[in-house]
Amino acid sequence: MKDESMKISPELWEPLEQEEKDAEKIERPSLTFLQDGWRRLRSNWVAMFSMVVILLITVGAIVIPWFWPYTYKQQNLDLANVPASMETYPLSNGKNVYVTPQYTLIVMDSKGNLEGLAESGRKDMIGKKNYYTVDGVDLCVDYSLYSAATAEYRSLEKKADAAGTDMVETSDADYLVNYFEQRGDVVPEQISLEEAYNILENKMERVVVTAGGEKLTETVRLRNHTYLLGTDGLGRDLFIRIVYGARISLLVGFFAAFINFVVGVFYGAIAGYLGGEVDNIMMRVIDILDSIPMTLYVILIMVVVGPGLVSIILALGLTFWVKMARIVRGQVLTLKQQEFVKAAIVTGADTKRIIVKHLIPNMMGPIMVNIAMQIPSAIFNEAFLSFVGLGISAPMASWGTLCNDALAGIYVYPYQMVFPAIAISVTILTFNLFSDGLRDAFDPKQRK
Amino acid sequence: MLRYIIKRVISAIITIWFIMTLTFILMKAIPGDPFASEKMADPVIIENIKAKYGLDKPLIEQYGKYLYDYAHGDFGISYMKKGLTTNGIISAGFPYSLRIGIWASVMVLALGIFFGIIAALRQNKIVDRVLMILATLGATIPSFVFATGFLFVFSKILGWVPSFGVDNWKGYIGPVVVSALFSLAYVVRLMRTSTLDVLSQDYIRTARAKGLPEWRVLGKHVMRNAILPVVTYIGPMFAALITGSFVVEKVFGIPGIGNLFTNSILNRDYTLIMGITVFFAVILVICILVVDILYVLIDPRIKYQ
Repeated sequence: MKDESMKISPELWEPLEQEEKDAEKIERPSLTFLQDGWRRLRSNWVAMFSMVVILLITVGAIVIPWFWPYTYKQQNLDLANVPASMETYPLSNGKNVYVTPQYTLIVMDSKGNLEGLAESGRKDMIGKKNYYTVDGVDLCVDYSLYSAATAEYRSLEKKADAAGTDMVETSDADYLVNYFEQRGDVVPEQISLEEAYNILENKMERVVVTAGGEKLTETVRLRNHTYLLGTDGLGRDLFIRIVYGARISLLVGFFAAFINFVVGVFYGAIAGYLGGEVDNIMMRVIDILDSIPMTLYVILIMVVVGPGLVSIILALGLTFWVKMARIVRGQVLTLKQQEFVKAAIVTGADTKRIIVKHLIPNMMGPIMVNIAMQIPSAIFNEAFLSFVGLGISAPMASWGTLCNDALAGIYVYPYQMVFPAIAISVTILTFNLFSDGLRDAFDPKQRK
Repeated sequence: MLRYIIKRVISAIITIWFIMTLTFILMKAIPGDPFASEKMADPVIIENIKAKYGLDKPLIEQYGKYLYDYAHGDFGISYMKKGLTTNGIISAGFPYSLRIGIWASVMVLALGIFFGIIAALRQNKIVDRVLMILATLGATIPSFVFATGFLFVFSKILGWVPSFGVDNWKGYIGPVVVSALFSLAYVVRLMRTSTLDVLSQDYIRTARAKGLPEWRVLGKHVMRNAILPVVTYIGPMFAALITGSFVVEKVFGIPGIGNLFTNSILNRDYTLIMGITVFFAVILVICILVVDILYVLIDPRIKYQ
């Protein structure tokens, strides 16, 4: 007996509509692992922005020294310690002058193109006045008021110290009385020592500049057109020194990445793949290398090789792959259990081929992420070593040595510290943000 | 438990021995000897000096004496600082670094754990965002930049702290804050991650479901589990902080051991370098050992292996 429901109705044999056929089709092109990661990375604007900044820094570091008018070691002692932007006094002949903290005069035109040190005339050390002639205009830099005020402050300090209080009598120091009277305030009887210091350092006029006997009051803020970021203590262009510093930092960073890739990846892969006693010995070697703190290790190598770029690179090369080797070994240990490795062994691939063609391509995610993390760390280390005096030596400049050079004059010329510091911080920050983005895109499991 | 501790102590001693040997080999491998540069033309005088420091003996005998002396806590005589022993130099500099290191560690742990938990509890809210931005910046700005910035603001402009030295307690503020910064940024991130991990666990849901007050859930169930990754980090961090940072000691003008070590390298004072290297290594190994043992006590899930 035939069941009616078992019967196949004839319309089922009709051809499908084209639309229904396409329902099963994979519309999107299939993406490889790298394409997929890149797609995710591209949608992360922080990472993309960081990448652009890194590229700009790299291109700038390579290209700028080719056309920049100065080199990193070109000195001009006359124009030492000129800031990037300064308060200048305009003169009647169209020139502007800037008074340095040493009470010398730097002459420039009204746009800020430096012309050099003013010709020094008489220096009156007792009257605390310096005389100069700039293109026929007689100038006098009078720093006697500030100098006297400093002496008064010193005695105030001594007196307060002896009395054991923080308050000082205003009437003891003329500069305080003058300060309050000039502002039209009532002169208070007592003020704190801190306030007195503040008035001395920040409120008082340090110098009085007179041209032909008349006091110059008007000042103009000018950008330094000759040296973009000013000059250092030997009159070298700070900007180009920072650019050379970028070259060194990036070189060190990319070298660390290279070492990580070459030594770390293969060391870890071999240890993990061969396993057994080989693995045990190789990992003990790593443990020992790792048990010495990184900085100590770098420094010990410095002692042998001597400070300089070569020794920094050598030191990084000897120690910077350890973490990568550990990560790769861990990955290999899990990967080598998988079927595709077994299949490769069965088809007769040798160890070298399995590691290079099968294992490493499957670990590219963690490897890339780790490399991106090691670069800022290497840059950090180089800056630190150079700062301590164990790294790049003069006249070469690295960000660490620039900061170290600036340290001595930090209160007088803070800009010499600020610019290299910004350069380091921005570079490390962008590398960190980029590696965070790379991690999210290629290795989401590691996300923290 | 005792067997575990004994095993760990033995492996720590082997590590220290290895570092000592490595340092010795490195020091001997350096071309030229420390007295080559001194203006002593008379070879007899040089021979006498070498005999004084035991440099005339065969290497293996020097090595044996080195191990024997170090095992007895005698780190030898400084080459460059005439008449001073390495022990004396280290014990003069170490207290400053130790004091700064201890306070910095306290600051890192207290603030790091606190802010880490806060950030995790307010995940993706404004507090969390601000803390994470600060933590990223903290890991980005090199310590020498931060140290000079600190001095510039608090010493030059505000005049709250002295710009040099540690004559009173105010002098310690800067060094402690600056040394703590980097680790602090790391601990905040670490604590946030592990707290987030723990918060999503089933036993936390259970604890809440059975009606425990929130402070008990956080204090007892979340904290105890979330703090474990931080505990592993304490060992190396504490060792790094108490052995002094060259940068901090240089910028703030502290006669600590970090400063000493850098100077001994710049002066090529080999006995001092060896002494301080081994001293640092011993501190590091002891810190890691203590923390490993503590870890087993805190987390009963870990077997003594």
